[in-house]
Amino acid sequence: MAYKPPKQSLAGQIIDVVVLLVLTVGALYLPLYMGLAGAAKTPAPIENPTWEALGQNAAEQQQWAALGFPDAASANEIITARFDYTFSWTALIVMVVAVVGYFILVVRLSDKEYREVIDERFGKDGNR
Amino acid sequence: MSNVSATAAPERLGLLRVLGPAHVWALGVGIVLVGEYMGWNFSVGKGGMIAGLVACWVAGLLYTCVAMIDSEVTSTVAAAGGQYAQAKHIVGPLMAFNVGLFLVMAYTMLEAANAITIGFLLDTVAGMLGHSGLNQKPFIILTILALAWLNYRGVLASLSFNLVITAFAFAAIIVLFLSVQFGASAVPLDFSAVTNEPLPYGWLGIVAALHFGLWYYLGIEGTCQAAEEVRSPARSLPFGTMAGIMTLVIAATLTWYVCSGLIPWEYLGSAGTPLFDAARVTGNSGLMVLLFIGTVFATTASANGCINDASRAWFSMGRDHYLPEWFGAVHPRFRTPYRSIVFLVPIALIFALGAPLDQVITFSILSGLLGYTFMTFNMVMFRKKWPLGTIKRGYVHPWHPLPALILLVLCAATYFAVFLGYGTQLIAMLCFYIIASLWFHFWRYRFVKRGDQFTMPWPRPQGY
Amino acid sequence: MDIWNYLEYAAWALSAVIAAIMIMDMIKIDTTYDNELLTSSREGELELTQERHELDDVL
Repeated sequence: MAYKPPKQSLAGQIIDVVVLLVLTVGALYLPLYMGLAGAAKTPAPIENPTWEALGQNAAEQQQWAALGFPDAASANEIITARFDYTFSWTALIVMVVAVVGYFILVVRLSDKEYREVIDERFGKDGNR
Repeated sequence: MSNVSATAAPERLGLLRVLGPAHVWALGVGIVLVGEYMGWNFSVGKGGMIAGLVACWVAGLLYTCVAMIDSEVTSTVAAAGGQYAQAKHIVGPLMAFNVGLFLVMAYTMLEAANAITIGFLLDTVAGMLGHSGLNQKPFIILTILALAWLNYRGVLASLSFNLVITAFAFAAIIVLFLSVQFGASAVPLDFSAVTNEPLPYGWLGIVAALHFGLWYYLGIEGTCQAAEEVRSPARSLPFGTMAGIMTLVIAATLTWYVCSGLIPWEYLGSAGTPLFDAARVTGNSGLMVLLFIGTVFATTASANGCINDASRAWFSMGRDHYLPEWFGAVHPRFRTPYRSIVFLVPIALIFALGAPLDQVITFSILSGLLGYTFMTFNMVMFRKKWPLGTIKRGYVHPWHPLPALILLVLCAATYFAVFLGYGTQLIAMLCFYIIASLWFHFWRYRFVKRGDQFTMPWPRPQGY
Repeated sequence: MDIWNYLEYAAWALSAVIAAIMIMDMIKIDTTYDNELLTSSREGELELTQERHELDDVL
């Protein structure tokens, strides 16, 4: 006997869309609001900057000038900024568990649903 | 079921089958080429010049695997929704729901990123012409609305438009490369940083660079979304996708070469519009105008393709009642999924007007990355459930399962790269997908007809 | 006021016009046609017609 889904009311349809929207916007904006988002570079400007001290040769100096940085002081922060790649192993393990766990969850639940689909589509006992 | 017969079929609306291989190319490359005009260069910032080039090629390899796998599955499962329909037939409904969400998120975010870039670029130009403080909002809104309207009016016009502007944007990169090569630049190419400062962050930098290395190619897999509108999907989709990935590897390498030679890597690593900046450095106003138009065209083409793809995915999910069925409607005259197109406009605007660019890009990359991870086991399961010879495939990719394995390893490396800078977002996104999955499994799935989800005329899968 | 300010206003106006046209067309279509017809598209339409005969044999 094929499964007959209930007919969803218009209000129900709207509620379902709103639920999804709230989830989406939440996932994007929560990290932003909690201030946990993003990895910014930290500049480490040097004292009395010169092009030579910043390791810029003649050609590079010309390029900086063309980009609107006339002297070494103006480019000091950009040139010395670096990312910080230190990370905690605990956080890494949490991430690995989360990613792998997520895929296992989805594939297993999918498989349960998939068997129903195949049974209904091709007949329960594989009569092909 | 017995009253359904081919002769008594009721009048039905479907999407219009009008596209050829060139449109598939335009859809794929159009979405992605913007990656060369903005975004990829953050990989240089993440690991230095060499890391940028390695990321460019490693990501190129990743996407070649994606294109090969996708071509085989899509030329066989030819339905709007692309990977979503693949997941539904091969892995199962919940996976399909997730993949559908990956697609909609990845493309809507990318669309938002494009609109932000157009606003930013206009602001830059206004600034150069002496008008400071341009209000970017109306231009962002206009971009999204105008392209949504174009998509609403029909797929052939949208993608023909994409073909023209994408070809122009690609030609602009070639012209820039040739002119610089033949001495049009007032400032010389300089690659001394390659030897002086090869890897400012060491080997870790190369892995970190992979995060934005994806941006060179992100979205090429969108060609599958057109499956239901292509005249002969089994032939056009593999052809258009493969031609697309080749175009992109060439464009990506040329872009790296010109930009790294003309712009100090410290600046390049955080530039908003790198190719336009490279043209500024040459001091040649003709090149500047060319690359300004190229950037505008590339971002427009990308946003246009994203609207096309996101709405197809949303539409197919509505059609299967994974989402409210209201979205599964086709416009009787234009034959487009018009309700999905209109609905996604405000969503794109929320992100384009409210969130910073790197967040939006990361959200898009992460959704894409989850989708590529899905492709690896999807491919293995596809060959297992229907071994070669049991169904007719439009294209069979060589060396299976090597591409799937390479793809899996590269995905793992990229997760690590994203983790280095944006671990919190990664976890937040996973939470989102887990909650959405549970919501689907325990609530939403009751509205879905079971057997009807399997629409391909294939035999029963092996092992079920 | 310079040209950029006028461009801003033009962009606002054009956006409003496009939004209005699109929404009006959508409302017109939704009220003119039956919802059953509008949502009658099915995945794998071509494949389905070919396979129907086969299904009939089985059932």
